[in-house]
Amino acid sequence: VASRRVLITGVGSFLGTEIARRLETDPDIDYLAGLDDRPPRARLERMDFIEADIRNPVISKLIPQAEVDTIVHNKIVRRPGPGMSSRSAHDINVIGSLQLLAACEKADTLSSIVVRGSAGVYGSEPAAPQFFTEEMARRYPLRTRFQRDVAEIENYFDTFSRRHPRVVCTMLRYQPSIGPSLDSQVTRYLAQPLVPTYLGFDPRLQFVHEADAVDALVAAIKNPVRGPVNVAGPGTIGLTRLVRLAGKPTLPLPPGVFPTVVDAGRRLGLDSISPDFRRLLRFGRAVDTARLVDEVGYEPRHTTVEAVEDYVRTQRGRRLMPVFREAVAR
Amino acid sequence: MSSGVHTQSGPNGGGSQTPPPRKGPRDPRSARPGSFPGAFPIGPAISFLRRFRAGLDSGRELPAALGEAGGALPRELREALDRMVRRLAGDYQEDEWGFDEEFADALLPFLEFLYDSWWRVETVGARNVPSHGRALLVANHAGILPWDATMISVGLVREHPLPRYPRFLVLDWAFQLPYISVAMRKLGGVVASPYNALRLLEQDELVAVFPEGVKGAGKPFKERYRLQRFGRGGFVELALRTGSPIVPVGVVGSEEIYPKIGEAPPLARLIGAPYFPLTPTFPLLGPLGVIPLPSRWRIQFGEPIDTVRFGPDAAEDRSFVFELSEQVRESIQQLVYEGLVERGSAFL
Repeated sequence: VASRRVLITGVGSFLGTEIARRLETDPDIDYLAGLDDRPPRARLERMDFIEADIRNPVISKLIPQAEVDTIVHNKIVRRPGPGMSSRSAHDINVIGSLQLLAACEKADTLSSIVVRGSAGVYGSEPAAPQFFTEEMARRYPLRTRFQRDVAEIENYFDTFSRRHPRVVCTMLRYQPSIGPSLDSQVTRYLAQPLVPTYLGFDPRLQFVHEADAVDALVAAIKNPVRGPVNVAGPGTIGLTRLVRLAGKPTLPLPPGVFPTVVDAGRRLGLDSISPDFRRLLRFGRAVDTARLVDEVGYEPRHTTVEAVEDYVRTQRGRRLMPVFREAVAR
Repeated sequence: MSSGVHTQSGPNGGGSQTPPPRKGPRDPRSARPGSFPGAFPIGPAISFLRRFRAGLDSGRELPAALGEAGGALPRELREALDRMVRRLAGDYQEDEWGFDEEFADALLPFLEFLYDSWWRVETVGARNVPSHGRALLVANHAGILPWDATMISVGLVREHPLPRYPRFLVLDWAFQLPYISVAMRKLGGVVASPYNALRLLEQDELVAVFPEGVKGAGKPFKERYRLQRFGRGGFVELALRTGSPIVPVGVVGSEEIYPKIGEAPPLARLIGAPYFPLTPTFPLLGPLGVIPLPSRWRIQFGEPIDTVRFGPDAAEDRSFVFELSEQVRESIQQLVYEGLVERGSAFL
């Protein structure tokens, strides 16, 4: 496959722009198009920006015209941002994916689809195996709206790839990303002056470094693999250690009052915490990345702990503990 | 393996370079007051506070004053303080399962007190446990709370020439509970799932399983020495598939720590627990009822059963798996009966 023509949805997000920027400099990529209803975060030289809402049926006309062989679906809302209702997040996720697939039906040149999905499909369960492998989706009931959205999206793409065996459909299941320049649910959570946690719980969490998040996707474009693939930094980190490394004081709350206090905190200007993230903060989740390494051929450069350390290095907040420690060490 | 802070602050602190000699359960040393982990060095504490105040009076910042006053403390305490501050800054290691060796080491003095003085545990045959590589410890289970798992750990750390902490599979219900879930993980517990056991064995860890499961932990007092059915023999499949030797372990004494005389199923349903035990002291005495009775224990490690020679395909053979599972159960039952005779009286 010498020359590739690629289209990215959701190019206006941070990772969308980063992926586009990476693909632009790639000599194997002949043509690059980006579709979103908001412009990319940075100036992109080669990319064709198609301004359209993914929920709009007009994309069924626009996408086939681009004559691409690969579509990267990056327009999946993990947490509704400011000014976005959870209803419209759900619309973008589900209706957007359906419209995209309708457009794919008409794109004859298409040979692969890469979806930046979520490991949220596994949920967050106290009794789950420590590391989910790709076969372990849907072992537990779907508990949150986002989880149901992801499961539904996976269903649509499954059905599509069964109907069109020539199109290779890769479902990348991403763990939450973290990194120095990223603005994600995790980084916003850690940026609060006081970090709410569940009293008596220290879940195992797993993250993917922002650079690995981009590179894993590029690797999946180059080497499309059928079916789901977990994307995460190897290893795990305990929530307590994460918050201590970030140098933030915690506010441990009993599970019964956690939602009330967090919702009250939101009115006071603290960050809101989505239902998925709440479950993550209580029970944690980790995935096995053997398939990413063995079949896609991408080895993450940062373990989960290294990704966190890289994030922490660039933060300047209240850092009481290191000062204290140096004093004692003397 | 550093043996905690407090054990060396007693009168025998002079020989702190040599590891503590192995103690038999009847060793009179264990009764000496100084070896109790609660001993508190009062003199250094006073001089610490004096220097701390002097530091503050001379206009130093709080952390600096604390750090300087730390010089007044004995080495062990200074190290403990440093460790605490380091851990508060997030500077500590946990592996991908959440096992925290430093935490386990710090808890060791307390567990050793239980091992030596409370339960007077005698461990036999620790050398049957391989020093390197994967192995599956299969033990009987009794006594409601997993104290038997912790005592097996201490027994290995104390008696094995090349000790390592075993990982143990814990009933998943425990991971819904606050604090207990945290402590379990830090001490090497993982959710009882075949996927976890498989991964741990592939990482060449020592894994302890209790195939009796809930049935074992909650068995009634009158059947306390009779092993329950061994589930579906899943542990044998794991051992065969990974080529791990099976080491049978017989624990005697955990049966008496909480004599279960009844159950309260409505209460169990209320809190979502697998069962709600009634013992002579629990829930009658409230939290005090959780203190286990001081029975005398004996832990015996049996001859390892090699599984490599059967090959991984044997794991598919149902009848063979059952047979081997039954064989392991028999040998553990045998170890328990032997242990009962060797131990003698349950409490004296």
